[in-house]
Amino acid sequence: MTNDEKKQELIFSVSDFIELLNIGLKRSKAKIIGEVGEAKAGPTGHMYFTLKDKKDQKEGMMNCIIWKSRYSLYGIKLQEGMKIVASGYPEIYPPSGRLSFIAETIELAGEGELKKQYDELKKKLEGEGIFAKAKKRPIPKYPQRIGVITSRQGAVLADFLNNIGKFGFKIKMIDSRVEGQLATKDLLASIKTFRKKDIDVLVIIRGGGSLESLMPFNNELLVREVASFPVPVIAGIGHDKDEPLVALAADAAESTPTAVANLLNESWEEALLLVERYERGILGHFEGIFEKYRNAESSLMISFGNFKNTLLNAKINLRSSVNKSFSGFRSLLSKTHLQLEYAEKAVNLNNPERQLMLGYSIARCSGRIVRTVQNAKIGDNIDIQVADGEISSEIKKINNK
Amino acid sequence: MAKEKQDTENLNNNLKRLAEITEWFDNQEEIDVEEGLKKVKEAVELIKASKGRLKTIENEFEEIKKGIEVKENKEEEEDNS
Repeated sequence: MTNDEKKQELIFSVSDFIELLNIGLKRSKAKIIGEVGEAKAGPTGHMYFTLKDKKDQKEGMMNCIIWKSRYSLYGIKLQEGMKIVASGYPEIYPPSGRLSFIAETIELAGEGELKKQYDELKKKLEGEGIFAKAKKRPIPKYPQRIGVITSRQGAVLADFLNNIGKFGFKIKMIDSRVEGQLATKDLLASIKTFRKKDIDVLVIIRGGGSLESLMPFNNELLVREVASFPVPVIAGIGHDKDEPLVALAADAAESTPTAVANLLNESWEEALLLVERYERGILGHFEGIFEKYRNAESSLMISFGNFKNTLLNAKINLRSSVNKSFSGFRSLLSKTHLQLEYAEKAVNLNNPERQLMLGYSIARCSGRIVRTVQNAKIGDNIDIQVADGEISSEIKKINNK
Repeated sequence: MAKEKQDTENLNNNLKRLAEITEWFDNQEEIDVEEGLKKVKEAVELIKASKGRLKTIENEFEEIKKGIEVKENKEEEEDNS
């Protein structure tokens, strides 16, 4: 008996058979586009809706389910007539045997719908003040720990890393899909992870794209996560016309990863310039001090020189005044000597004893010096004083000249 | 005889007195030997005392001068070293 023959012979229970079918059906992942028919939420919050279309006179309809956890993720409120793309797989619900499409993601189809949803959400969030400028936090100066959410695919990360300066950044990166509805889930998970990490700033970057490709960045949950993130968030999400709501909610938004890198470099580069300026300032200041010192030193040397000269002059003046005093005094002494000599000579000349020694004598009559013959009479006693005594005699004769 | 016991230590006074004596001799028309002799004796005393005083002053001056020169030489040596 061949295997096929064995299988043919196998008899399944209905539920086992449905289980078997479901295993096979789960492999039939697909994206389907259609218009939403009836849409209603079940008691547990799961969303039950139909998708239908008309094409080339063919008509189709499919029951669809999106689980509550997924439905809340994409921010689309399913309404009748809405055209959407749902991605997922078919599954048979065993209790009813009903085939349903289990939608893992849903996204709006067509620019018109996307734009409409974008505008509505933007208006709503604007009303809440989520995009308010007053709410923006400044990018911290000299950030070090940077959290980066982006895809490893493509040139975005390389652009960012090539342009981020060598300022000792510690970059933590979480790889996330950044395109398509599945990106929303990744982005939300990445942000949640970064909430627990010690970072100074969070960066979300990707390349540019159409409104459709950027739809994950217009997700309400994601926008709220960004707005309430504990540290400032920089969005670097390129766009054509409508700025992604995540970028609007971020504290700073740049159009390219390079611009984001430059923004992070900014305060460091300014600091570098400041350091250079301070360095120049300090050097200039010290140069000034040295210059002042040199000037002070040279003027001090001049002052010393002047002072030495003054001292020398004072010494010379002192010596000359001493010399003058000496010579003045000496001449005074000489003058005194001369005066004494003159006095000595004068006294000697006038010394009557000297005259007597020379042989002159003094004649006295009655004690009076005899100067003329008139002072003497014949018969008078006359006393004659000579050098060594007196001679007494009598006048016998007087001769007139 | 007021000037009998005059202080002969004061050179200046001595010189003044000597000048007075020589002037006295110059102005004497009639020589008074006795007075002249007294003046001579006084003058001789004054001259003797003055010479002694002058010598003392000269010696003191030489001492002072020597003291100043020694001090100056020392200062010059210090300046040059």
